Amino acid sequence: MPFIKEIEKYRSLSIVGLEKNTGKTECLNYVLSRLSGSTKQIALTSIGIDGENSDLVTQTHKPEIEVHEGMIFVTSELHYQKKKVLAEILDVSSQTTSLGRLVTAKAKSSDKVMISGPASNAAIKDLISQMRNFNVDITLVDGALSRKSLGSPAVTDAMILATGAALSANIPQLVYKTNYTYDLISLKAVGDELKERLLPIQKGIWTISEEGELFDLEIESVLLIEKAKDKLFTQGNRIFVNGAITDKFLNFLRIQKQIKEIEIIVRDFTRIFASPETYYAFIKRGGRIKVLQKTKLIAVCINPVSPDGYCLNSDELKQAMEEKLKLPIYNVRELNGHLVESKCDSRIDR
Amino acid sequence: MKLRTAISQVKGLQHLVESMQLQSSLGKRYLLDTFMMYQSNKINQELDLVNHIYSILRGKNVGLIHKIQTKLMQVRDIKGSVKNIMSNLVLDDIELFEIKSFALVSDEILKLQNEFETTLIEIPDLNSIISILDPENNRIPSFYIYDSYSSELAGIRKEIKKLKTAIKADPERYTGQNLEALLSQSEEIEAEVRGRICEKLYPFASELERALNQVAHLDVIIAKAILANNFAFTRAHISDSTTEYKAMFHPQIRETLALSNKKFQAIDIKLNHSVCFITGANMAGKTVILKTLALCQYLLQFGFFVPAQLAHISLVHRILVSVGDDQSEQNGLSSFASEMVKINEMVEASIKKENVLVLVDELARTTNPTEGRAIVNAVAEIFNENQTLSVVTTHYSNLNSDCRKLRVKGLDKDFKAGEINRNNINDYMDYSLIEDDDLKVPHEALRIAGILGINQQIIEKANNNLLNK
Repeated sequence: MPFIKEIEKYRSLSIVGLEKNTGKTECLNYVLSRLSGSTKQIALTSIGIDGENSDLVTQTHKPEIEVHEGMIFVTSELHYQKKKVLAEILDVSSQTTSLGRLVTAKAKSSDKVMISGPASNAAIKDLISQMRNFNVDITLVDGALSRKSLGSPAVTDAMILATGAALSANIPQLVYKTNYTYDLISLKAVGDELKERLLPIQKGIWTISEEGELFDLEIESVLLIEKAKDKLFTQGNRIFVNGAITDKFLNFLRIQKQIKEIEIIVRDFTRIFASPETYYAFIKRGGRIKVLQKTKLIAVCINPVSPDGYCLNSDELKQAMEEKLKLPIYNVRELNGHLVESKCDSRIDR
Repeated sequence: MKLRTAISQVKGLQHLVESMQLQSSLGKRYLLDTFMMYQSNKINQELDLVNHIYSILRGKNVGLIHKIQTKLMQVRDIKGSVKNIMSNLVLDDIELFEIKSFALVSDEILKLQNEFETTLIEIPDLNSIISILDPENNRIPSFYIYDSYSSELAGIRKEIKKLKTAIKADPERYTGQNLEALLSQSEEIEAEVRGRICEKLYPFASELERALNQVAHLDVIIAKAILANNFAFTRAHISDSTTEYKAMFHPQIRETLALSNKKFQAIDIKLNHSVCFITGANMAGKTVILKTLALCQYLLQFGFFVPAQLAHISLVHRILVSVGDDQSEQNGLSSFASEMVKINEMVEASIKKENVLVLVDELARTTNPTEGRAIVNAVAEIFNENQTLSVVTTHYSNLNSDCRKLRVKGLDKDFKAGEINRNNINDYMDYSLIEDDDLKVPHEALRIAGILGINQQIIEKANNNLLNK
């Protein structure tokens, strides 16, 4: 698979599923098995507990990930105790997560382990940079695209997206939804100077004037925009929004007469919660959105099988996806040597 | 009393403790769990340790202290694991890792401090623990059940590896059954090895605990010395009789003033085992004097240097303060009632001839002046009779003439109208204390109110009232 070479160019990579059961774990396991032959030191961790709340409650269903001898992994104390792999402990963090402290260990054999990690953006960034102390070249992050999770996979340099029948059982729909995420990931980043100035600001809505001055609009969140519409454009048309971008906000901006001058800046693409229809309508009218933190999408993995056994035509799906996204597309079922057909009980050709 | 409790009562103390450069959470816990000390030899022992580092900080070996601090940053609080080993439990890999990495850091600190001519603090040698947990002698802070603990384990691990590769290559021929058996066998041996390791560690548990304490203590004394150095604190002498400060200051207030380029005027004060009144104009810093006295007393008895140029301090068993900024409404008491409850406690301690330091700000100020004055004189009389080390600030005149009185000089010169205003009044105020025999107290309230720019009508009318009397 060619994208393994591509991965080696980055210091950090997140693997993100667009929905549960889109084959993220298969994809991650595949990447890990391929990287096991690499000369680079690999580390593996996760954002939070995968954003799956049920996981914390039942402490089950969390797929295990296969680490290979020599790889470093970071996981919570609780999951470390349950590991199958033989590993040498290198560090125990002083901060705790909901599942205990974080244990950094080096695998001494190849076997399965459950991975959980820090929950916040800052903590993940810290963790990635701390990995240098253990001579790590590439840190893989098991990420989640969830509104519930605080941590965003956009903190990593590169990203692999896992999508599939679990998201939509209709090929054009699935391609459309995946393409929307791809468009959001591809949003342009602001200049470095502006980025450094905006990154530390943790709340509120700010405008950046023509002269580059920052003004706090003293609006807590876009959810309260109704009450403060009059304030919005008093200092300029470039607006930095800390929280989420909603349909309501984009619809409001779309009908403004200076729409072509409006530029919204968000922390990263995961903050855009608007529906694709609203987003595209906003862009069509000439509005622009930029991000502070940009990540590069290097490949998309597809899983044609949905959890209820429903199966899409994988060749058709792959082709449709490739045409639209112009990115390398891989079928996770084929990656790990599974036979697609054997998994499909009720294959429906479209 | 623990420092943890004291800082919740004295804001200035809390501020100082928070500004300390403690490197480990272990050190922080140790510090907060320190008990107030009542014996001069104990205090001097601690001050000797602080003083040693204090003098190193001003010498050429200061770099070594910084190196030790960097090591202290790596120290983790492993109290739980130590407790488990002391109660002869089998620890898990994470706990064993913690013990090993602590033992290694502790050993590195020990080596660093051996570079000094005299040791800073006694740290036990943990090399026996290290050798138990580091069978391959890597001296790297990492841990697992190494192959070298058991040749049997090493053999099984090799077999597992071989079998796994075989299963991967040909899943039809090899079933997972053998693998399961091998895995559970290796787990059993690992558990047995862990048990053996813990048995071997058990005799060193108390050494480990002592090392943990000593390392924490080292963190604390370094932080105390740095604090003293940063704020220009001094080592107090413990006195048998009088308490005397030369150029005493309140570190937090001095810092705040320095931010606006103002200077804190240090105070000289001497106290006997009797009552001492402090009188003086409003805004003359009487409350600050009381707060600083309390702060200094706590600092010394928790083994810190004190904010003064020179200090002779007599030790006390308790410090009783009434500064009237607590929230009496919450207790359902009026401000007078809640003050009286406090004063009662002080008076009772005094009658029992307890060795206490009593600090009262504007005693009985919330009631009428006639009875208020009577209360002040009565309380002072009791303190005097029982030789209680006490300071009482007041605005009342006609105080008991047997009592010692100090007066803040205040605005004791004449100034042109408009020369002083609310922003520069601090520059004109002379905060120093003088012995005062006068029965009267300075009447400067109206003058200061005028400077503060309050409505002129009040001042005119008040002055007329005074003349008509």
